[in-house]
Amino acid sequence: MLAAALAEVPALPLHTAGKYVAGAYIVLFALVLIYVAIMAIRLSRIERDLGELLSMSENAAPDGAPPSTAHAGSQDPERESAPA
Amino acid sequence: MERTRPIVYGKGLRPLSIATVVAMAVSLSLVFFYAPLEAEQGFLQKIFYLHVPLAIVALCGFVLGGLLAIQHLRTRDPRWDMRSYVVIHMSLIFAVGTLITGSIWAKGSWGHWWVWSEPTLVSFLIVFLLYATYQPLRFAIEDPERQSRYASVFAITAGAFVPMNFIAVRLSTAYLHPRVLGSTSNLPGPMALTFVVSLAAISLLFATLCKYELTAKHTRAQIRALRRRLAGESAAAPPRARSAAPSLQHVTAMSARATGSSAP
Repeated sequence: MLAAALAEVPALPLHTAGKYVAGAYIVLFALVLIYVAIMAIRLSRIERDLGELLSMSENAAPDGAPPSTAHAGSQDPERESAPA
Repeated sequence: MERTRPIVYGKGLRPLSIATVVAMAVSLSLVFFYAPLEAEQGFLQKIFYLHVPLAIVALCGFVLGGLLAIQHLRTRDPRWDMRSYVVIHMSLIFAVGTLITGSIWAKGSWGHWWVWSEPTLVSFLIVFLLYATYQPLRFAIEDPERQSRYASVFAITAGAFVPMNFIAVRLSTAYLHPRVLGSTSNLPGPMALTFVVSLAAISLLFATLCKYELTAKHTRAQIRALRRRLAGESAAAPPRARSAAPSLQHVTAMSARATGSSAP
């Protein structure tokens, strides 16, 4: 089915200006990719910070009671990552 | 007791991201398999479906940054400063994309990467260099309050310069630079449709990345506030490290109070 669909698609005249057009679209792709990579680094930093905060809160409440921070409910990581 | 609505920047991020991916896929399909080849430029003209929307979104983003800065000066709410900062930051990235894709087109069409005698190119470069000073300006001012005020004034002034610059260049030059928007009525239907879909896709990409950035910055600010709270300090303490990014400490403190007051 994919082969049939591809057979219907008109051929692109890549021999003329193909390298320039490909270069332009690769630039956009690269910019977005770099941005996603930066955001991935930030996300891993946030994850590390949350781990530190979790250990800090456990040290602050050694009897096992949940810490009484205002954000404890809204910042539950499992609620954020749960599928819809 | 002061009640402030808690901020959730990440709300709606998932449907926005899905819409962006779908729009980008449709846009690319239309560009390469639907829009006809242009008679003079041929396949090279496909760059315009990327280059022109990038330029339009970047310039509109600069103007939007100025409008958000006006709102910041009116309300003194740091959230508007953060929005203005993120929009200008993202517009700068899109402007880089515009300059690079424009240079690639120029090399393919004119045989040169850059032509200094072309007013549209040079004026866009001037706008880009103007906004490239935005972050160093912010970083140079240590006091967060002054930093946000001065940055807003800059954003408004520069935001007003963008449309004036655009109009002045269009009025004063012979039409050497290819005009896509000026001749939309002359565009064949498939080309016009492809251009509009591409513009929508790039606009959605811009909105998604801005929302993503705002969510990340707000989350970082909340984590910092929580860390200070757990360490036994005030959540509204002044920042320790100088940064070009706006401070959201007051907002996270207000949000914490609001969430605490609304909790059962």
